[in-house]
Amino acid sequence: MSIRVFVVDDHRLFLAGVRAELGERFDLVGEAVDVDEAIEAITRLAPDVALVDVHMPGGGGTAVVRAATASSPEVKFLALSVSDAAEDVIAMIRAGARGYVTKSIAADDLAEAVRRVHAGDAVFSPRLAGFVLDAFAAATPPDLDPDLDRLTDREREVLRQIARGYAYKQVARRLGISVKTVESHVSAVLRKLQLSNRHELTRWATERRII
Amino acid sequence: MASSRAPEARRLPAALARLGLPRHAAEGAVSGVAAGVAYRLGIPADVARAGFITLAFAGGVGLAAYGLAWLLSRPAMGDEPPRALAPAQRVGLALGFLGLLLVLRELGVWFGDQVVWPVGFVAFGVAAMWSRRPAGRQDLFAQISGEHGGPTAARLAVGALLIVGGVALFLSSVDVLAGLGQVMLAALIGGAGLAMVFGPWVWRLAADLGRERRERIRSEERAAMAAHLHDSVLQTLSLIQRSADPREMVVLARGQERELRAWLFGGEPAGGGRFRSTLQAAAARVEADHRVPVEVVTTGDDPELDEGLQALIQAAGEAITNAAKHSGAPAISVYAEAAEGRAEVWVSDQGTGFDPTAVAPDRRGIAESIVARLRRVGGRADITSEPGEGTEVHLSLGGGL
Repeated sequence: MSIRVFVVDDHRLFLAGVRAELGERFDLVGEAVDVDEAIEAITRLAPDVALVDVHMPGGGGTAVVRAATASSPEVKFLALSVSDAAEDVIAMIRAGARGYVTKSIAADDLAEAVRRVHAGDAVFSPRLAGFVLDAFAAATPPDLDPDLDRLTDREREVLRQIARGYAYKQVARRLGISVKTVESHVSAVLRKLQLSNRHELTRWATERRII
Repeated sequence: MASSRAPEARRLPAALARLGLPRHAAEGAVSGVAAGVAYRLGIPADVARAGFITLAFAGGVGLAAYGLAWLLSRPAMGDEPPRALAPAQRVGLALGFLGLLLVLRELGVWFGDQVVWPVGFVAFGVAAMWSRRPAGRQDLFAQISGEHGGPTAARLAVGALLIVGGVALFLSSVDVLAGLGQVMLAALIGGAGLAMVFGPWVWRLAADLGRERRERIRSEERAAMAAHLHDSVLQTLSLIQRSADPREMVVLARGQERELRAWLFGGEPAGGGRFRSTLQAAAARVEADHRVPVEVVTTGDDPELDEGLQALIQAAGEAITNAAKHSGAPAISVYAEAAEGRAEVWVSDQGTGFDPTAVAPDRRGIAESIVARLRRVGGRADITSEPGEGTEVHLSLGGGL
């Protein structure tokens, strides 16, 4: 049974491109070009995976992910954007997306990302891994929860390998661990990224923009 | 009949055109005549207006002059060069105007001393305070005070002096200084009345001005953006259309994307003397030269370049070039970390790889240039590669991990 995929993007040209690239591999159940339409259709169709553009009129991708996650928690979201500004990436992940890829991604990689997100794993591009390393780099304030606000050495090492451009399989081999372990590390990082309320995340994202 | 008059009518405007008196309707307060005269004389428009107003009280000469000037002028084409006056010429012009007034006074074309002088003083005072000099030209007061742009302190002082003098002259001439208290009261009441009458209008005018300025700024921004997009994005798009090679297209598109992103999100320009941007520029050069996408991820600090970091980036550039030339990989990854005095760069490809113990002499040379270059600044380079497994070059400076 093929994965049921829904695509949200306000650029019809891009929708057509995704349809051509993914139509063979997945069951494309629907498309939406604005926020309200997307929330309604995702709730109604309950796809396995929704690809969501970050920048859209009417609240953007974060609004879609937030609203649709509330109504249909079983849908997995993968953020897709031309922007790779740090604050966009972090905002989408914190809204509930399980991964973030840029629109320049190759068709095969996009398909792989959809499968991975569907399997419940997180999809970290090299750039996202770099952002997360930066976000968790600052010293942890004592009043925050160290389980949520700090990366373990192993998680940090996995992220650095991803940032160097290695796929999960290669990361596993290079670190001498199983792919499953790499996936669980990345998922743990994703959870921390979503749940941690360390203020550095937002502050850092703002600073990064200025620099 | 009409046909016989037509050439005449055409000849007259032609003659007037030779006279060269433009009418700046767009800048004018009434019809643009004063603005045109001012333009021709090389003085601020408000000063010319003050001249017309003063002359108007000299037996109505100003009104007649204004009407005549309107008849003689033609709508400005906007292509005449503005005239610049030397300070001495301005003084001469002012003295000439004063002489004209005295002549009119002698001739009796005059509404009386107690009217014309105060009006003239106030009119020129207001002109001095409020007139804005045309762009690109310096006015007399700015030259005297050595300041440029805006109403200068000297100009404000002269204007205020003229206005106060004019008012005092008028009050003394009509002999009301005796009942000064009542006059003050009357002036206050009059002022309040004027504020009530003109307040809303002034308020609206100010709001209009603000809106106009905002719109102008917006349209200027739009023009700047259009110019930028034309020079960059549109050029690249046309290059892509002419390109037959998909790799070439990808490189063009990536280069343009990088540039546009830097422009939109205000990233540091390439070569800004910082670690990240310089490393990214080095990667971009290889990408453009060898037509292989280079993905750069940087974390940590963004230190200022020093000798060591420069060597590190040069070595990284060589490693990227090697990967682009020899690995055959579809893409190259560069990851850099900088923090607390140490910096590291990893250059990875998933191409053919090689056996580091059995490298060809020419590649050994390149590798050594990377290694040697870093050793000179106290850093090190480690190259890991296996045939079929890709290559990773790890460059570190200041004590790596």
